Amino acid sequence: MTTDKCTNVIEKCIDLKGSENCDDANMVDISISKDVLVIGAGSFGLEAAGKIAAQGYSVSVIGVKTACARQSGCSSEMLETGKVNIMQDVAIDSLAGVTGDFRAVLIKTAGNGTGCNETGCSEKVEKVFGAIVVAPQYSYSPLNKKYGLTLNDKVVSQSQFEAMLGDSESQKKILNSNNGNGSTVAFLTGFAQEGDPTLTSRVLTSALAVQNMENCNAYIYAGNVKVGAKGLERLFTQGRHAGVVCFKPSQMPTIEQTSTVEQDGNCDHKQVSETIKITIKDPVVRTDVELTPDYIVVEEALVVGQQNLDIASTLRIDADLYGFLPSNNVHRFPAKSNRDGIFVVNNSADAANTALKLKELIGNGIKKVAANKAKVDEDRCVICLTCYRSCPHGAIFWQNGAAAISQVACQGCGICASECPMDAIQIGDFTDDSLRTSIKDAVVSAKDNQKDGQPLIVAFCCKNSAFEACEAATQFGHEMPQGFRMVKVPCAGKVDVEFIMKAFVEGADGVMVAACHEGNCKAERGNIYAKWRVNEIQKRLEKMGLEKNRLIFTTIASNMAKEFAGKVNAFAAAIQ
Amino acid sequence: MDNQTKKVLILGGGIAGLTAAWELSRQNISVELVEKSCFLGGHAIGFTCKATDKCQQCGACSVEDMLKNVVNEPLINVHLRTEIKELKKSAKFNITLTKSDIELPDSQIKNLPSGKAAKGFSKYNNPLYVTDSDKDKMGSSCQITADAVIVATGYSPFDPNRKSTYGYGKWKNVITGLDLENIIRENGSLVRPSDGQKPQKVAFIQCVGSRDERLGNLWCSEVCCPYAMRMAGTVKHDNPNADITMFYIDIQNSGKEFPVFYEKIKQNIRFVRTIPVDIYPLENDGLELRHMAEEEGSPSSESFDLVVLSVGIMPGKDSGKLSEITGIPVNQDGFLDNEISCCPCSSSAKSTQASQPSTSSQSASSIAGLFVAGTAKGPAGIAASMADAGKTAFEAMKYLGVIK
Ligand SMILES: Cc1cc2nc3c(=O)[nH]c(=O)nc-3n(C[C@H](O)[C@H](O)[C@H](O)COP(=O)(O)OP(=O)(O)OC[C@H]3O[C@@H](n4cnc5c(N)ncnc54)[C@H](O)[C@@H]3O)c2cc1C
Ligand code: SF4
Ligand code: SF4
Ligand code: SF4
Ligand code: SF4
Repeated sequence: MTTDKCTNVIEKCIDLKGSENCDDANMVDISISKDVLVIGAGSFGLEAAGKIAAQGYSVSVIGVKTACARQSGCSSEMLETGKVNIMQDVAIDSLAGVTGDFRAVLIKTAGNGTGCNETGCSEKVEKVFGAIVVAPQYSYSPLNKKYGLTLNDKVVSQSQFEAMLGDSESQKKILNSNNGNGSTVAFLTGFAQEGDPTLTSRVLTSALAVQNMENCNAYIYAGNVKVGAKGLERLFTQGRHAGVVCFKPSQMPTIEQTSTVEQDGNCDHKQVSETIKITIKDPVVRTDVELTPDYIVVEEALVVGQQNLDIASTLRIDADLYGFLPSNNVHRFPAKSNRDGIFVVNNSADAANTALKLKELIGNGIKKVAANKAKVDEDRCVICLTCYRSCPHGAIFWQNGAAAISQVACQGCGICASECPMDAIQIGDFTDDSLRTSIKDAVVSAKDNQKDGQPLIVAFCCKNSAFEACEAATQFGHEMPQGFRMVKVPCAGKVDVEFIMKAFVEGADGVMVAACHEGNCKAERGNIYAKWRVNEIQKRLEKMGLEKNRLIFTTIASNMAKEFAGKVNAFAAAIQ
Repeated sequence: MDNQTKKVLILGGGIAGLTAAWELSRQNISVELVEKSCFLGGHAIGFTCKATDKCQQCGACSVEDMLKNVVNEPLINVHLRTEIKELKKSAKFNITLTKSDIELPDSQIKNLPSGKAAKGFSKYNNPLYVTDSDKDKMGSSCQITADAVIVATGYSPFDPNRKSTYGYGKWKNVITGLDLENIIRENGSLVRPSDGQKPQKVAFIQCVGSRDERLGNLWCSEVCCPYAMRMAGTVKHDNPNADITMFYIDIQNSGKEFPVFYEKIKQNIRFVRTIPVDIYPLENDGLELRHMAEEEGSPSSESFDLVVLSVGIMPGKDSGKLSEITGIPVNQDGFLDNEISCCPCSSSAKSTQASQPSTSSQSASSIAGLFVAGTAKGPAGIAASMADAGKTAFEAMKYLGVIK
């Protein structure tokens, strides 16, 4: 596959649709509530609340146990402004509406996370919020079972041990464990789970504290020492220099926990003595290394908890594989969820970023947005709910007996339009008519330039990824067949079956649908919809006796110009 | 207060500087963005996509996104090939900018029909190509006043020549992680420098320059385990027959959903817990790598087609000079550190994180209105640099009184 030079090719990636229209005539003012709801009253939730309130918005914080109640996290700054209303033991029961105008139903919980107890259910109140911030509160759970250990006063969790170190009575016990001869403490980390720097930092801090106690020795058994955070390698080195021993066996150490109960005549007086033995194989000396510590400190896992899962499902925002918010998608970092106007705060940087983004969103309560991102034809809508379910950004609500689209929340991806069985939705910059014209123009223009024997290829390119890569390939002069043209779409999820068929009907030899990589779609699932549709059409083509490999689905990132050209060339070669 | 009258100077146009500039412009603050090289985007604009059957969340494409935002934003004024010469603080900051005499990066020089030129990585690099004579015309020499200054001058990757036994620069097929990023980006897949062929046996050596007490580098660079594993995954996806080994001390997490990612990568890649001693050349541009793998118990060696040195994040080459010009102290590791150990109130905001040793020794001397963002202050990945830049922009705006 050869072409002469970039100059000839330059037209190829020109956006056949024309630019996006956002001149003033097409803008509308939408009012946004200046009230903000913060769910989760831990320290980061409160930090976010303080920063948001400082922007002049009125903030309600709800949570089961607030950090304020625990005497931490309430800054004076926050309380002074008087703009933060902390509502203890209040939860969110349901959520309707859209960004700028969320309708949250709040409920007083009976301390059990639900609104009900034996005596009945408490009253619900509906409140309007312009935006919502979730600051998930996770808990820790010890992983002793995975090590086959039972917790007692010798085998403790990391949190328990930290409490012991903070308590002078327990400290004395540690110091005097062996008739005043100090203790040996073994920390187990990274075998029952991967672990993370936060946990490692806790282990290192505790181990160093032990090592610095008279006659005490700390041993760390670690899978991987997670030093990937500020200051931890230094802390680790400091610990080693102080005498903390770190073993990194390739497998979970074998641990025997044997307790012998000695009855001493008096029935209430049981004497329990316990021995714990940790055995690992030393990889260098190739012998068993045994330790019988006085204390074993077991690692803990961060637990999502039902409450957080419920919050996510009430708010209709995606979590990652483990249930942690937000979903694992670079376009959400930092602090964004798949719904514009719903933010997730997990740390201090998130809190500041959220405050900024909220200010951008809410401003002074009036937001200028494009008026025609997406529109429902009320007469066609049969309220089938398809669009409501498929919109990844939660932008659809109900009005006048039909679906309606929030121009604030809508991202113009077009998934709803492609999924609507009644063809009731049109996307402002990419109406069906204009896309049909684009397809036709693409084929005509490709025919004009196509070289003899070369295939005519139409690629539907997502504007977020493939379109960018295609344009870059052209600008950098990467060779692609002369008969190649692309059609820009707002998201691969807007590539209808009809459009693909039209490209073939107009005369394309091959059609390519180029989307973002799975997990990188700004509309979360647009690429997946596109893949399904391509699979469907491939089946149809086969039934019609046509070669199904004339249609391919591929994924690409916006920065991969050369890879894009490579894919087009490989496709051209395959169908030639 | 009219935000339009506020102006912030940002030094460094990597992802941290770009993000800070963008966030400030969102709040109607104008920005002078000063970049020493001829291209915006910093290190990360040259990174490759590391997707396999799925996106691996490496963040490289979000740098492309942010660059697009910034170059289309009228409130951000970009000075390429420009450096800061002097900074004086009165009511505002008075800054003298000067043309940088930086050379075009060797790794980006391409032979074009029109002659040699350095090629930008992104279509949003403007210009796309810079020749030696273009270069001499670029740059601003002028006086600027700004209400606040953000230093986002990034890091320098560890110089692999300091680990001379690995033979970087001597043996063609010993490359750094940064070289690998650029090679895959530019070619669409991994090819060997010596012959342009796909290598079959590839080794990654972790912690090159980081976590090295002998060098005095007592920090983990945080990004090299993630990038090495992700690129190893990409190489394996592209060439399922490739045989990839990773020599390591400890594996660091790559972000969300790490356990599933790690389980999957362990099925595709061999992990050996040791750091190799040295590398010798073999016939056909192959390489022999000697190590003391724990499992083997004695020295052993193995041959590879390509060796990747996972170089880490070191303080930016200019950090000393910038510290002198701006008065921002450097911490014991050499990174710029302007963390204001502010008011007692912060003690109440106790995080779940256990107390960490303070690395900044001279924070008291910090000057109000000067901020540091991104890897200029220590190791971080793209996502963390973006979050930090947003937070820094927030703090800068607070200082300006634009927000409270
Ligand atoms: C090999 C390698 C691979 C990596 N891969 C990944 C990855 O896949 N994913 C990920 O998240 N992270 C990755 N990282 C980390 C990533 O590079 C950083 O997180 C990111 O580049 C930091 O951005 P920054 O803006 O802080 O710094 P930089 O990217 O270093 O940008 C700093 C900018 O400032 C400019 N500058 C320097 N000095 C001056 C001066 N005196 N005046 C003006 N301008 C100046 C520089 O020219 C540069 O443009 C990788 C790092 C390495 C070493
Ligand atoms: S998918 Fe179409 S018909 Fe169904 S509710 Fe939405 S707009 Fe109405
Ligand atoms: S275009 Fe996309 S974001 Fe907008 S309403 Fe439809 S599905 Fe939702
Ligand atoms: S792997 Fe990296 S560059 Fe590729 S799509 Fe995912 S985040 Fe973007
Ligand atoms: S991230 Fe991995 S390779 Fe890099 S310094 Fe840390 S442990 Fe070493």
